[in-house]
Amino acid sequence: MATRSDPRITQTMVYYQEPPVKPPPMLAAGPLAWLRDNLFSSAVNSVLTLLVGALVIGLIVSFINWVITQANWYAVIFNLRQFMVGRYQVDAEWRLQVMLLVIAFTIGAALAAWGRISRFFALMIIAVVALAFVIPVAIRAVGVMPPTYLTAGATELQSGSSTETPLPNVGFIGQAGETISLQLALDLSADDEALRTLHSFGDVAANLLRASAENRLTNAQRIAVINAQLAEDTPNYRTLTANQRTTLEADLGRLVVPDPIAESLALNQTPINFRILRGSTFEPILEGTLAADGTAATIALPEDGWYILETTGDGIGLLETYGIYPHLQRDFSRLEELDEAGNVVNAAGRYQQYVRMTDGFLTEEIRPRIDGRDVPMMIIIDNQYRGDRTLNDYLVLYLGPFLEIINDALLWIVIAAGVGYIGLGLINQYAPVEAKKRGSRAVAQRTATWLLLALPVLMFVLAYGVGGFLPLTDTRRWGGLLLTVMLSMVGIIASFPLGVLLALGRRSKLPVVSTACTLYIEFVRGVPLITVLFMAQLLVPLVNPQLAEVDNVFRAMVGITLFSAAYLAENVRGGLQAIPPGQEEAAKAVGLSGWQITLFVTLPQALRLVIPALVGQFISLFKDTSLVAIVGLIDLTGISQATVAQTEFLGLRREVYIFITLIYFGFSYIMAALSRRLEASGSGAARRV
Amino acid sequence: MIDEATVARDPIIKCEGVNKWFGEFHVLRDISVDVLPQEVVVIIGPSGSGKSTFIRCINRLEEHQEGKIVVDNMELSHDVRNIAAIRREIGMVFQQFNLFPHLTVLQNITLAPIQVRRWSRDKAEAKARELLERVGIPEQAEKYPGQLSGGQQQRVAIARALAMEPKIMLFDEPTSALDPEMIKEVLDVMKELATSGMTMLCVTHEMGFAREVADRVLFFDQGRIVETGTPEHFFVNPQHARTKLFLSQIL
Ligand SMILES: Nc1ncnc2c1ncn2[C@@H]1O[C@H](COP(=O)(O)OP(=O)(O)O)[C@@H](O)[C@H]1O
Ligand SMILES: [Mg+2]
Repeated sequence: MATRSDPRITQTMVYYQEPPVKPPPMLAAGPLAWLRDNLFSSAVNSVLTLLVGALVIGLIVSFINWVITQANWYAVIFNLRQFMVGRYQVDAEWRLQVMLLVIAFTIGAALAAWGRISRFFALMIIAVVALAFVIPVAIRAVGVMPPTYLTAGATELQSGSSTETPLPNVGFIGQAGETISLQLALDLSADDEALRTLHSFGDVAANLLRASAENRLTNAQRIAVINAQLAEDTPNYRTLTANQRTTLEADLGRLVVPDPIAESLALNQTPINFRILRGSTFEPILEGTLAADGTAATIALPEDGWYILETTGDGIGLLETYGIYPHLQRDFSRLEELDEAGNVVNAAGRYQQYVRMTDGFLTEEIRPRIDGRDVPMMIIIDNQYRGDRTLNDYLVLYLGPFLEIINDALLWIVIAAGVGYIGLGLINQYAPVEAKKRGSRAVAQRTATWLLLALPVLMFVLAYGVGGFLPLTDTRRWGGLLLTVMLSMVGIIASFPLGVLLALGRRSKLPVVSTACTLYIEFVRGVPLITVLFMAQLLVPLVNPQLAEVDNVFRAMVGITLFSAAYLAENVRGGLQAIPPGQEEAAKAVGLSGWQITLFVTLPQALRLVIPALVGQFISLFKDTSLVAIVGLIDLTGISQATVAQTEFLGLRREVYIFITLIYFGFSYIMAALSRRLEASGSGAARRV
Repeated sequence: MIDEATVARDPIIKCEGVNKWFGEFHVLRDISVDVLPQEVVVIIGPSGSGKSTFIRCINRLEEHQEGKIVVDNMELSHDVRNIAAIRREIGMVFQQFNLFPHLTVLQNITLAPIQVRRWSRDKAEAKARELLERVGIPEQAEKYPGQLSGGQQQRVAIARALAMEPKIMLFDEPTSALDPEMIKEVLDVMKELATSGMTMLCVTHEMGFAREVADRVLFFDQGRIVETGTPEHFFVNPQHARTKLFLSQIL
């Protein structure tokens, strides 16, 4: 311890030499150092890092594996339009396209005003769009259409108790110029292992073959296991009780391995005669015999439409077909169509479409009939398919067609956004200097603000119409993402002023106003949204029959708005309460009146404080719109439910819900990111004094 | 500061028997005081003696319950129009500055002239820049309050109050929240204001300022005016025991 006599304390010291100002020492930098400092700083941290890392990687790998080899994306690709706009009138669809362009344009403009597109980012976007066009072409060029197998010939197949006669005639649709190729599937005729991987689409006879192969293999395996357990003089055998032994022996007695079906049916051992007929005239356009020596027969289809593949012969063969895509038959109900004078042009009713699921090629031609009966189609209930797909299948069946559907839209979106970005940049550049007093991008920012304010109105007008040039659309046909976006947009925009008014009202000094607002807020917060929606749909028409004529969609919008406003009011009130009283006093002292204080001093600060809470609420509102599915509106969730309930898409729940999850997540994430930008931005920063 | 010609004028603030309670607590007791135009009155007194409450009564941030306060010939009552008119004539500067954090310095200053006096934006901004010049920070116009030092913020607050062209300025301990090195810059602005003939009521603990600028000093204790007089009288020859005690503690 230093004492008084310590010279360091008693001595007076004056330092004239200034220590030099130095740059900070180089801190350890680079990815390795970062890893060491953040992920492996201690033993516990390292273990955690490895565990979590393994978990995450494992999950990702198995998910991607599922996406490619197991998942069936037909339901999504095929119903893409439904998912996006529901049954929106086709003749008004251009308005939604315009809407998309306007949105993209505004986004571009907003980026020009407040953001910056780096060269790298721009190149990335261009690359993505280019890839969306190149990949499908490349896939078509390189990828191999997975073969479809169908059994041919007249022999009955038998497996267990079921018998099946292979189809002599199968109808399919094709486009002019497409090549169909047929061949005996030799590599599948040999053994059960190969038969089990039979890649068939709902062809009952082929399914039977596959099931029987599967059956043989499992039975053989089970017998082997039991035999091993019953083998005498093994340690295992001695631990078995007498009872267990009898059970096992009884099992063994019941297990039979049926004869290999390939052998018993002499699969692929007799030549198969085939013909390809035009579906409309039954005129043959190719005729031939497929034999075990394996040369393939190919034919280029002369025109769009129906064709029939006809097979004859005593034997049974497994045909490998390329170019016959899975397709399905759909029934549509059509509304009555009237002309200007009100005459029925097209009666309401059902009509059928035949659609190729891979690429959306469709025909409305009547399906060919032979002897008064429909020719069976290569009906594809692909969701029945069990087993792995290859990457090639995934690319050819799903990725390529999907990109082909969306790439045009993508291109237009990027172009519109680019025009907005560049256009606003130019406007700003050539604006008079005095207009840019408040910052170099003032003009762009003002323009973009107007655009953003006008956007919701424009979107609504385009989607709904105003009459005249834009006739009103039928909101009952709104659906999918369109409906979800419209519901949340209207909900957010309408509930905002209402919520602010409720918050101010609750703080009002007039007891009538504040009690009314408090009651409203507490009541609404006390009931679930779903009841509010039901009330809007069911109760309101009872109370006032005239309201029953208001569209369901609008009633849902009102319900959502009223519901959201109550929560919003509480958030805003929280913000108002956080404003120090000195703010109001200072505002009073300079002579501002009550409403001026609210408008210019307290409310702006309060809103700024609660941006995170408000955006959180808007995000949950966006997701909560999914509840309208319960009251019969077909928003994104509703359309998913409707889709997976159709027989052709049964069992595709996972794929459909993953798809809409991605959409919901994308939108929510964008909102959250915007909120973070807003909080951090100059005008939004909650500045402390 | 007061000169001979103005002595004869009517008082601009008249308080007669002002009483106020916070619940049971009698915070202002029979305050009667007149302030003449262009007079600089400094209010001192121990903490909790009611100084802030008193000057806040003058622009009706607090309501008095008994007695009469007349400002510029308008009596403070429940009449909302009167309150608004009086607030237009009185500027106020707070201990905690109370600038509006979401507005720039310029917007802070121009808000009231534009909204209350209905000036054009150009006129208000010209005035604001002139005032910023006067308080010595013309270059900070576009910044936000959070980006300024305490002394600068208080000077903005003074400019904000002056922008309404008030006849009277109230200061409630304007330097108490400042670091010592910033106190002077604010006091200088206040001195300049006093010399220019502004009527001022200042609650402050800056005795140097009081001595130099004040025409009159009021000493508050427990809600009463205990002693009043010129600074010379006050600092050289205080009479009341409480005053003596207080001065001995702070000087
Ligand atoms: N809003 C209020 N409610 C109740 N008591 C208050 C309120 N404001 C001030 N007081 C009390 O009144 C007394 C005078 O306060 P104030 O005028 O701020 O004193 P000073 O400014 O002289 O320090 C203090 O005792 C204080 O606690
Ligand atoms: Mg005080």
